[in-house]
Amino acid sequence: MEKASHLSVILDLSPTQWHLSAQSSNQYPLSIHSFLSQLLAFLNAHIASKHENTLAVFGAFPGKSVMLYSSTDPVADDVPPADANSYSSFKVVDFTIVRSIMNEFDALGNLDEEPPCALVGALTKALCCKSISAHFHSPNAVEDPAVLPDPRILILSVSPDLSTSYIPIMNSIFSAQKLKVTIDVCKVYGPDAVFLQQAAHLTGGSYIFLERRDALLQYLTMSFLSPPALRQVLAVPKQDKIDFRAACFCHKNIVDVGFVCSVCLSSNHILFYVVKLWFTYMCTVFCQPVPVCSTCR
Amino acid sequence: MPTNVCTAKASYKKAPGTLELTDTHLQWSQDGKKVPSVRVPYHEATSLFCSKEGAAQVRLKLGLVNDDNGHNFTFTAPQAVAYSERETFKRELTNIISRNRSTADSNANPAAAPPPIVAALSASPSKAPTPRPAVAVASASRASTSRAPSVSSDRRTPILPGTDAASDFRLRKKVLMGNPELASLHRELVMSGQITEAEFWEGREHLLLAESATESQRKGRPGQLVDPRPQTVEGGEIKIVITPQLVHDIFEEFPVVAKAYNDNVPNKLSEADFWKRYFQSKLFNAHRASIRSSAAQHVVKEDPIFDKYLEKDDDELEPRRARDEVADLFINLGATLEDHGETGNQRDITMQPGRQRGALPLIRKFNEHSERLLNSALGDKPPAKRRRVGGGDGGNDAYGQLDLDDLHDPETSVGIILEMQDRQRYFEGQMASAAAVEDARKKAFDVRPIFKEARDSLVSWEYNLNQLKLERKPGDAALLSMTQNVASRLDVKSKKNEMPPDLFIQLTTCQTAANEFLRQFWSAIYPPSTETQTIAPATPAQKATKAAKMAGYLGKTHEKVDALVRTAQVEGVDSIRVQVAMKPILDAVDHALAFYHTRSAKPTKGIN
Repeated sequence: MEKASHLSVILDLSPTQWHLSAQSSNQYPLSIHSFLSQLLAFLNAHIASKHENTLAVFGAFPGKSVMLYSSTDPVADDVPPADANSYSSFKVVDFTIVRSIMNEFDALGNLDEEPPCALVGALTKALCCKSISAHFHSPNAVEDPAVLPDPRILILSVSPDLSTSYIPIMNSIFSAQKLKVTIDVCKVYGPDAVFLQQAAHLTGGSYIFLERRDALLQYLTMSFLSPPALRQVLAVPKQDKIDFRAACFCHKNIVDVGFVCSVCLSSNHILFYVVKLWFTYMCTVFCQPVPVCSTCR
Repeated sequence: MPTNVCTAKASYKKAPGTLELTDTHLQWSQDGKKVPSVRVPYHEATSLFCSKEGAAQVRLKLGLVNDDNGHNFTFTAPQAVAYSERETFKRELTNIISRNRSTADSNANPAAAPPPIVAALSASPSKAPTPRPAVAVASASRASTSRAPSVSSDRRTPILPGTDAASDFRLRKKVLMGNPELASLHRELVMSGQITEAEFWEGREHLLLAESATESQRKGRPGQLVDPRPQTVEGGEIKIVITPQLVHDIFEEFPVVAKAYNDNVPNKLSEADFWKRYFQSKLFNAHRASIRSSAAQHVVKEDPIFDKYLEKDDDELEPRRARDEVADLFINLGATLEDHGETGNQRDITMQPGRQRGALPLIRKFNEHSERLLNSALGDKPPAKRRRVGGGDGGNDAYGQLDLDDLHDPETSVGIILEMQDRQRYFEGQMASAAAVEDARKKAFDVRPIFKEARDSLVSWEYNLNQLKLERKPGDAALLSMTQNVASRLDVKSKKNEMPPDLFIQLTTCQTAANEFLRQFWSAIYPPSTETQTIAPATPAQKATKAAKMAGYLGKTHEKVDALVRTAQVEGVDSIRVQVAMKPILDAVDHALAFYHTRSAKPTKGIN
């Protein structure tokens, strides 16, 4: 019997990127409202597949990250009464999520320009939410029935990599490893995201680049609906190759050849000692040989 | 023409010939040939072994400086003649070897005991077969082999690579022997003349340094107690094999035996008699390293000579040899005796060593042995340095001893702060790049309508959700592509690697060679690392030539891979698999070549 599982979904909600995604010049245009419908169907499927399943949804808006919905929160009062056409649990979820998104979009209306998407903030919030962070205190023995095994995070990304967020993303990955959280990534629009590929690879999740974007729901149900425990039996698609390059610390460029200060390598090593990593992630990486290391002088 | 000291008919590696000892060399020439095929200079001889007297063949083995296997000669003359011939050779060679030793020892390591010629002597209680010193028994020397390695003298100081060509070569050879993969790479590249020896080792100096460091390590004294084990032969006889090493050890361990030896040999006793009597004496039994000896006590005879040297059993309350050091203040129970006058505690009389009195001498013997071992490990440093804490001098040290690590609060550790210099630059860099992206984006779109559009498209979400309908075609396409993804992975998992071994080896060689070229290339491009010791940093011009040369080699990698692909086709292997296997290295090569071409296009802007 399959156990209940927790799913945290991070939505990349950059209006500009979604605008680009919806343009008919794309081979398979996908607009935000069509995306949202398919996503809601997927979320409902997750809730329906097991009564005890829990769900949390985070939104990465331009310059801001918000928790859109959590199944552990009390139901808001203003949810419209159930109608004959919908299952009330689904309706609560769908309504809460869409309303929160609309509120945030309203708040955006005053901005003159779009700041970069707060994906890292959303990821960090997802890691800190109770269903996941409870694993930190008792990673092995889960006595609390509210804490479900095998938590996972699904990132639905449309924005390109932000090289400035390399270090925070890496740190999030390490925390996720420590918490034994699986990070799945679905690249809905835009070029392949190097950092998210690494995130999925390092946490044992799968990274899917959407080829037929009009069949989003098909991808979601096939690849991401099954909890990690089930995926050992149920083969799910994964990425073939992963880009392992790092971003340099000085200009935040993604580099092929990195340089590492031989002195502070040791100290940084101690800093990150708790998490199991390999070489590139332990150290300050420069794109050019520098005479004085900025980390240790 | 060197004069002959002695000659004899002897065979070497089963070929008959003549063994000669000239005044500079020991040489052997095969019958019918004029030039000697074995020529050993005197100074290379280090050890000598002879076959047992009475053995079917009369053999002589000579160990060399860098070659423990040495040379084996068999004297082919009739036995009686062969013996006398061998004795002659042995006498001469023994002298030569001892001369070599003394010079070597005075050169390098006066502390190391001279490794004596392994010799054996049979001492049996009933019949003693004319024992002589330095009669070597090559076979029955188990006792000696266990201790012989201890005397490995280290006359080599650590050699830095490049200082001495011969030793450098030897080191390289050793490194290669210990690392078969490196050796095959070396064979592949250096022996075929593609890169030079020096280039190959550049950047690998650490291997040589590590090897020379390992070599120069000295083995300490073995901790074994000197305890000659008698071997029982038929008829209740006991046989003890004596080697000079054993004699040396006995003298060192029991000075009283050395004293007895000096007093009695050779005036009162011959050397053989001395040892024979010693092993039957009470003195020997007192020196045995276990209580087992009591079982053998009935065979011990009275011996007027050795009994003189008998010491009283060391089983009194206080050891016979008092420790000369000042006891540690915190261990010395007597240190605070004066503080407890009439009112104080009673004297602790339970703390007496050895519950069983008979065990006391043994315990003390062990202690003395251990002490001697430790002292030998410390070498001849002044005794003041030996004590970690100088006990007697002043209160500071006493307080230092009181200040235990465990008493400190572990919570006060400050952790390690990641201090970045230029933090400003770090954040500015972030902002600058973000600003650049923003600018580009602002130019491209007006964001306000986009925000509004996003907001508005969500209003009718409920209707949209109700109308959600997946088209069959894209769904099927997605399903198909994902199934293919899973299937291909399953395929890889279930399929075995059926590359023919020959081809596989070729692939590996090509790969390692290209890797080596890449390594050379990049090391020529980038500044040398400061960590490793380089002999002489290459000049920019040298580096440029090297980079050019390596780039030339790298350019040929594609041809090589193509050739391999063709070979694969001939062998009936899927050539695509070969291509896939070689793809990463080709990518790396292409990358290096592209880098090289852009760099050489604008030579003014070098990294150096």
